[in-house]
Amino acid sequence: MQAIKQTSPYVRKQVSTKRMMIDVLIALLPVVIFSIYRFGWDAIVRLLVSLILMIGFEALIIGMTHKVKKTDKTFKEKLKSRYSGYTINNITAPAVSAVIYAMLMPSKLPVYAVAIGAIFAIVVVKMMFGGLGGNIFNVAAAGRRFVSLALTGMFAGVYVGVDMIAGATPLTALKSGMGFPSVLNSYPILDLFTGNIPGTMGEISAIAILIGLIYLLIRRTVDYRIVLSTALTFIALITIIGLKLYPTQWFEFLLYNIFSGGLLFGLTFMVTDPVTAPLTRPGRWIYGLLIGSLIVLIRTFGAYAEGVAAGLLFANMFVPLIDYPKWSSNIIKPRFVISYVVILVLMGLVVYFGVGGAV
Amino acid sequence: MIAKTKYIPDGKKELKKLPILHYLDANYLYYPVTSARCPEGETCVRGGQFVKIGEVIGTRKGAFFEQPMHATVSGEVVGHEKRIDQSGKVVDCLIVKNDKKYNLHSSIKDRTDAEIEALTKDDFVTIVKDAGLVGLGGSAFPSYIKLISKDPINVVIANGVECEPYLIADYSLMMNQPHEVIEGLIYAMKASGAPKGIIAIKKKYTEIAERLNFSLKQFTQYDIKVALVGNYYPQGWELEMIKNAIGINIPQGELLSKYGVLNFNVSTLQSIYNAVKKRLPVLERLFTISGNGVSNSSFRARIGTQVPDLIELAGGYKDIEIPKVLILGGPMMGTNVTRDDIVMTHTSTSLIVLNEELEVEEPCIHCAACVYSCPVSIQPTQIMNAYKTRDKETLKMLGVNKCIECGLCSFVCPSKIHLTEYMRLGKRFANK
Repeated sequence: MQAIKQTSPYVRKQVSTKRMMIDVLIALLPVVIFSIYRFGWDAIVRLLVSLILMIGFEALIIGMTHKVKKTDKTFKEKLKSRYSGYTINNITAPAVSAVIYAMLMPSKLPVYAVAIGAIFAIVVVKMMFGGLGGNIFNVAAAGRRFVSLALTGMFAGVYVGVDMIAGATPLTALKSGMGFPSVLNSYPILDLFTGNIPGTMGEISAIAILIGLIYLLIRRTVDYRIVLSTALTFIALITIIGLKLYPTQWFEFLLYNIFSGGLLFGLTFMVTDPVTAPLTRPGRWIYGLLIGSLIVLIRTFGAYAEGVAAGLLFANMFVPLIDYPKWSSNIIKPRFVISYVVILVLMGLVVYFGVGGAV
Repeated sequence: MIAKTKYIPDGKKELKKLPILHYLDANYLYYPVTSARCPEGETCVRGGQFVKIGEVIGTRKGAFFEQPMHATVSGEVVGHEKRIDQSGKVVDCLIVKNDKKYNLHSSIKDRTDAEIEALTKDDFVTIVKDAGLVGLGGSAFPSYIKLISKDPINVVIANGVECEPYLIADYSLMMNQPHEVIEGLIYAMKASGAPKGIIAIKKKYTEIAERLNFSLKQFTQYDIKVALVGNYYPQGWELEMIKNAIGINIPQGELLSKYGVLNFNVSTLQSIYNAVKKRLPVLERLFTISGNGVSNSSFRARIGTQVPDLIELAGGYKDIEIPKVLILGGPMMGTNVTRDDIVMTHTSTSLIVLNEELEVEEPCIHCAACVYSCPVSIQPTQIMNAYKTRDKETLKMLGVNKCIECGLCSFVCPSKIHLTEYMRLGKRFANK
């Protein structure tokens, strides 16, 4: 009998990073199926392009960054030692990013634009920061922001609805021209909920996303604190705006804002990305507060109709600050609860007086 | 997955069903001359000398205390050999050949109730000290030092939680000898002057609660209660147990006696009972062999028995071709040994043999399952990063010294990172 040297603990829980990634892929399934149903080959091509590019470039860069041993002589041996650290997570993790990224794209965006964004996301945002677990910014959100900033023109008028007529998304309609109560005529709440609207491939069907969210919450693959905190902040601030601008229709305004745009998709698959989130309970509440307020601020006062990706990337920059060892703590203290409420109230006052002047 | 983990599959149900085999007549018994707490020791017997049960055969010397060694059989002293003790170290052992007559030493006589009634606090301390009693929960801390505390004690707690998986020693003790535990608790209360006693057990052990409550009916003149505490891990950690049993929050690093609390493991209390009532040192204890790499069995064996004998009696190792991990104590905090010539000591509770499973370490994905599960609210993954950059200041800022090495962070990690090892390294580095 051979005895092995180990240190305690000797038993491990039956969980794995691979399983968490696969959970997210499973949760993405309803969204992917819906987008293929809606957009057909357009969706399939863009999904495949981003999947192949992200997984391929991650593999390529891992091969480039790992050293060969001095004893390796043949090409085969060199290849083997270059890919010694290549595991299943080098496939599942970029696959998750790729599917999320593809779902953030409008269906008529040229394939080369999708490809540029995918390569930027995986090479610059992920691998340059050290691969899985090392990236500071959310990979899919950064890729999406890169494409929409570099190729702004392409995002105007390429959103396609169910009857294949290009049109404005519900949020751009709200922002430019139509104004609130009249947009309800073009985009009823029920259509927003089922996905019968123009928009990017993944974010239009609220019901498909909610199925995924419920699955992830039941599996505990995502932290409910971030989801809850972001949603709470968003709902509170939008309700304040709604009550001030449209006192009789504030509830419709709230529903319209929740179901249009990328909020639900971002809430389920992007803000919950653990790699770019803070580590502690209070930290994650603050992170959600930050994202929720930023989305509302960008949507209401900013130049863009859509704010989830930008708000998330902005909040990502604050994560090292939130996690700074001097003040980060996993205990929820009364001091934290009070400051959370105070900041929420302050944000409420800001939007309350802000929108009054804007309209 | 990203959630606080409290429950560990404990495998105790199967172990409780095992019959307890009595193996009390080993041919040779081994007594370690030194131990983890006592780096020095000497024997006071010579080769060829005959000893009797309970006779002092040597002394182990610690930093601030001495601890006598007792023979647990009668027979001839035949020499010295190296063996592995509970702490996993190779130690020098005194060997006694069992003559199977089991003659008691002349000092071993039962005390009458009147004699016990007359004992003062100092007498109790002397008895406990002379019997060489140590904390049998695993700490091996000398028990008499707890008893000589000057602070007024309000409550003595018997810790019967035993939250580690695969351990059933305390469970079967409370099941089979509840009287001895209760009387030991009464002696500890008398010795410390505490008016109250508490026996803390897991909530799910209703059968033990019933048994203890039934036995307590004979001792109604004492204020002893059974407290049901949580089923989770690490409920057996004394601060966590005290918090749930009597509602006192004691900060880490403070002495329990400052808060009027005294805490003993139930096996320690049983040994106090034996020392006071029968003038006996610890002679035998329950030893469990478990895990998927060996035939499982429970034994009642004398202190000094060689574990290989017990393994053979149980049925030997399974799947010899698979490398094994040998663990003394529980699978979360136990000691790893690489040889199986182990000697049973006071503090041995079990040997766990696991088939080796290869775990590949993946990068940390910041899921924070370790941060959520940590019972002392520190941040294992940040400590790991600080240790990797050898940042002493940040390590201290993150409170690495609070870590109790319970093993939960490594247990929950989905990337299979050995965080507990980083905690140990971090502690050592920060305190250097």
